[in-house]
Amino acid sequence: MRTFVYIRPSSPAEADSALSGAGARAMGGGTDLLTQQDRGIFPARALVDLRGLQLNGIDEHDGGLRIGATATLAQVAAHDGVGTRFAVLREAAAAAASPQLREMGTVAGNLCQQVRCWYFRHPDLTCWLRGGDTCYAQIGDHRKHGLEPGDCISVAPSDLAAALLALDATVETNRRPEGFPLLELYRKADEGNRSTLALSDGEYLTAVNLRRVPDASAYERAGERHAWSFALSAVAAARFGDELRLAAIGVSNLPRLLDPADPLAGLPGLDQTGWKRGLLTGLAEQAATRAG
Amino acid sequence: MPPVANLLIGFADMRISLNVNDQTHALDVEDHESLADVLRTHLELTGTKVACGEGTCGSCTVLVDGTAVLSCLTLAVACDQAAVRTVESGGPLLERLQRAFTDDDAFQCGFCTPGQLMSAVALLERTPNPDHAEIVRAMSGNLCRCGAYEGIGLAVARAAREVE
Amino acid sequence: MAKLVKTEAVVEGRTEERWTLVEEDATPEWADGAVTGPVGRPATRLTAAARLSGAARYTSDVRLPGQLETLVLRSPHANARLVSLQLDAARAVPGVRCAIGPDDAPSFDGQPILTDRPTFAGAAVAAVAADSSAAAAAGLAALSPEWEPLGFVTDMERALERQDFLEPPSEDERGDVEAGLKAAATVIECEYLAPAQLHNSMEPHCAVADWRPDGLTMWSSTQAIYQARSQLSTVFEIDPDRVRVICEYMGGGFGSKFGCGPEGILAAELSRRCRRPVRLVFSRRDENLAAGFRTPARLSMTIGADRDGALVAIEASAVMGMGSGGWGYPILEPIKSLYACPNLHTMLLPVRQNLGPAAAFRAPGVMEGTWAFEQALDELALELQIDPLELRRRNHTATDPSDGRPYTSKRLLESYTKAAELAGWASRDELRGDGRIRRGMGCASQYWWGGGGPPAYADVRIGASAKPVLTVGLQDLGTGAITACAVVAAERLGVAVSDITVRAGDTDLAGHGPFSGGSMTLASIAPAVRAAAHHVRTQLLDLASDMFEIAASDLELVDGEVRSADGTLRRPIHDVTEKLDNAWVTGSGSRAPNPQGLAVNTFGCQIAQVAVDTLTGLVTVERIVAVHDVGRIVNPMGARSQVIGGILQGIGFALTEERVVDPTTGTVLNPGFEDYKVPTIADLPDVVCEFVGEPDPKLALGVKGLGEPPIIPTPGSIGNAIAHALGLRLREAPYTPRRVLEALEQR
Repeated sequence: MRTFVYIRPSSPAEADSALSGAGARAMGGGTDLLTQQDRGIFPARALVDLRGLQLNGIDEHDGGLRIGATATLAQVAAHDGVGTRFAVLREAAAAAASPQLREMGTVAGNLCQQVRCWYFRHPDLTCWLRGGDTCYAQIGDHRKHGLEPGDCISVAPSDLAAALLALDATVETNRRPEGFPLLELYRKADEGNRSTLALSDGEYLTAVNLRRVPDASAYERAGERHAWSFALSAVAAARFGDELRLAAIGVSNLPRLLDPADPLAGLPGLDQTGWKRGLLTGLAEQAATRAG
Repeated sequence: MPPVANLLIGFADMRISLNVNDQTHALDVEDHESLADVLRTHLELTGTKVACGEGTCGSCTVLVDGTAVLSCLTLAVACDQAAVRTVESGGPLLERLQRAFTDDDAFQCGFCTPGQLMSAVALLERTPNPDHAEIVRAMSGNLCRCGAYEGIGLAVARAAREVE
Repeated sequence: MAKLVKTEAVVEGRTEERWTLVEEDATPEWADGAVTGPVGRPATRLTAAARLSGAARYTSDVRLPGQLETLVLRSPHANARLVSLQLDAARAVPGVRCAIGPDDAPSFDGQPILTDRPTFAGAAVAAVAADSSAAAAAGLAALSPEWEPLGFVTDMERALERQDFLEPPSEDERGDVEAGLKAAATVIECEYLAPAQLHNSMEPHCAVADWRPDGLTMWSSTQAIYQARSQLSTVFEIDPDRVRVICEYMGGGFGSKFGCGPEGILAAELSRRCRRPVRLVFSRRDENLAAGFRTPARLSMTIGADRDGALVAIEASAVMGMGSGGWGYPILEPIKSLYACPNLHTMLLPVRQNLGPAAAFRAPGVMEGTWAFEQALDELALELQIDPLELRRRNHTATDPSDGRPYTSKRLLESYTKAAELAGWASRDELRGDGRIRRGMGCASQYWWGGGGPPAYADVRIGASAKPVLTVGLQDLGTGAITACAVVAAERLGVAVSDITVRAGDTDLAGHGPFSGGSMTLASIAPAVRAAAHHVRTQLLDLASDMFEIAASDLELVDGEVRSADGTLRRPIHDVTEKLDNAWVTGSGSRAPNPQGLAVNTFGCQIAQVAVDTLTGLVTVERIVAVHDVGRIVNPMGARSQVIGGILQGIGFALTEERVVDPTTGTVLNPGFEDYKVPTIADLPDVVCEFVGEPDPKLALGVKGLGEPPIIPTPGSIGNAIAHALGLRLREAPYTPRRVLEALEQR
């Protein structure tokens, strides 16, 4: 049931005020947030639509690129500066979801979306990540889950996260305008705090910043069909001189930087997910080769 | 804007202005209502179909300010001042597509078709002369369980050719 | 002269006996093979304007004054006892007009519509009708049900261990299997696992009921308006002629929408109580929990053949997971009937599980049975080093292997030859490659019923405008049957197909028409349409004869004109009809029975070419060559679309579609399109579609069914193509990246 009010602030001050209310959640395209509401996942009392804050620009700066938090995936995929210098980001943005969802979904929304685990999303179950006691996936069907044991075995779904992690992007928020590495946006959910995002109350993304231009980059992705499928696994590769950065989604709780020499390190696999080990190795090899 | 406390007073209707198919409507909508429901219920424009209600099938695709979006996952209140186009909008491009969908047998049960047509309109407005891969990409968010995809691909290409 | 006759009809493999009212039919048959007028030429759909403009009114679009919206409380548990339910609290919610629970609703098909003992997750427990969906949602939340969860069995093998059968196991036998297997030169054993495929029609199940003192009107998304009428009449004990069922347009059914469904009963009950129109639309989740599925199955086969590949004996069994309903679909039928085999023993074990009821799904049983059996045959071909198509040719049968009846027609051998030629079968080994992408080609045959039969009636009338109106008791699923009917009428009346208006989908309009299913619709209704149109034609020619003083036998109706045989007279038909003013010339037609003692079947062969990405495990179906023998093709454009549609659903079964049930809670984990993946436009292969069937000489109009046949061979041909590509066989569908990669790893 939808029990929220809708607020569309038009200035940072209004946004801060709106987000300070109990049960307020920041909203971009709303494509994940609304489906969560309809399934009773973290019911919100207010949805604060940040698209009135003019955060949707994509700006070039001394070789780099600053992408506003509410720029859509479609905007990112079609942007010339992205396409010519950050191929991995263009490929990832263009591969995510469906055409309509790419038009609606924002960069911040994509990075902050919840896991797609079919237990987490189940309207009748309250799994561990939703604040319950049980990770149903571990005792149930986890054929599409991760390679990493833990309290929750669902996988990071964001295609942009993989690409931006490989590109060594930083994230800027209303509280931390100076920015911080993307990896620090994420945290492992724990017993006391089941959130996978390291944001404080009322904090929201304002931009992601690409300061380094790779010599080459590529995205390799495996889906369940030829279009409109969340990634089973995907690997983003970016080469900066001698440094090769590989990042993966679909294999662990959080977007993950891989060791190019041993991409499977720390990813032993679970009962039903061993098949993803070979897949990850193959995707990593392929992405590294293309970013050659 | 008033402080948030004043906003959290309940579910009073919000007055929005919505231009739908070139006609402007002042509508009182509740915060939770989707654009699809407002089109279908308030305006009785039932050409827009809801087949999943969770943004996965594309049947409810409409154009908001020229962009193809899923009206089931779009809040009506977020569309204040927007221009919406549905399958009922008419116009030369949509009519060309409708003729092409007929000639290429691009539908069977027709339930997904309004959404298919609106995705095609969005594509051809931006890319008047798409190649096959571009058509497939642009139409890949619109599921058709009858499997009329061959006709759909041919019809979009035909409508594009006829524009030239 | 009308008479009642007893006839037999084969409906999806089940023989039914019925009394039917038939009229003598003096319509001349088409000359064998002759293409007449619009028949056999492409015709665009008559429903195009309505469906493409958004004007077509589907059941979920119906909005009557004062109409209420309904939501259904469904059990979250796979098996439970309802301990308490706050119906009064729901009734107190503003806007709620009615809330009913297990004690308040009628039964349907012997099952309570609302239950306090739900036996599957998704079973309906209570319903709330309110002024708006939001009020109904608030009412639903107020119900606050308390449950006592009970133990459950969703696993098919556990249900089998417990010997919990929905129907008693059944056996079939011919010859002596034991002796046959002993004598066989080669014996192979194999086992295949078929998934539960979910229908996912784009339009969910829905109904709008308007209960009034003088009767009940129901808009229903149904494949069978007359069955819906009978069911509503029985459940509510009202005269069937006071029940009107309307289905103007519907958004697909694929077997899941026969009759009025529980949604219809519930909507009618709520409308009866509230004295208001009531609409009930299933959510996508409801659809996939409670509205049916293709039965998952485990098929075990032991097949013996002689040195030349001739089948000697087959022992086969099938465990079918029925959930809580449906019937034992003919999954073993392909094994019994596709090829000649003297010794055979089969056993069908339909088990009950704590899941929703199964429902027929496009070629129920036969598609998945063919998928398994045709791959087993390829295993045999490999063992014997015989070309798979050649093996099939060697086992061809000219008569029905079960009872020896001859077929009305059979062109299966031609379809092999044609398909092989079109696919480049002879050089298929050259495709394979040894890099990341491996290619392969595989074939499978097809066998189905679909001869149609009575009862089916049609009315035609023509007025001053000379634009005929055809009325049939059909509902338009989107198959193209309506347009095909117009083609058949147009041929008799000498008018353009687009000049015909077809009225359908309303039990108050027309005589009894067939349900839309079993590939029987057109074969059933077309002869009645032709007879009705022929009666009108005869009368028009009589009128023209009087008017132009030329013998009726020297006149014909062609291209909108009355023409004399000698070519001297050419006048618009309108010249004849204009004097009718507001009167009509009318004609009726009925369907006569099929010839007895003959087997009516469709046949065909498909060859799939696939590319397997050994890195990602993703299978691409690059091409399907589909060659079918389905009798006369009335509208080649609609026929091709049906074939492609069937192929795509077959691709879904083979590659991506699979209901996943949680072993711990018994609930369905993927009841939406995010995790239940149907094919998209990007999954469409190149399709080569040909028909080898000439008009069936023994059937009225030579028409056989086409709805089911094209899905039947697709998954088996894909399985065989993957085996050819990889040199290993996957025996569990769908062939997802996970299964492909696991198989490659195990090798």
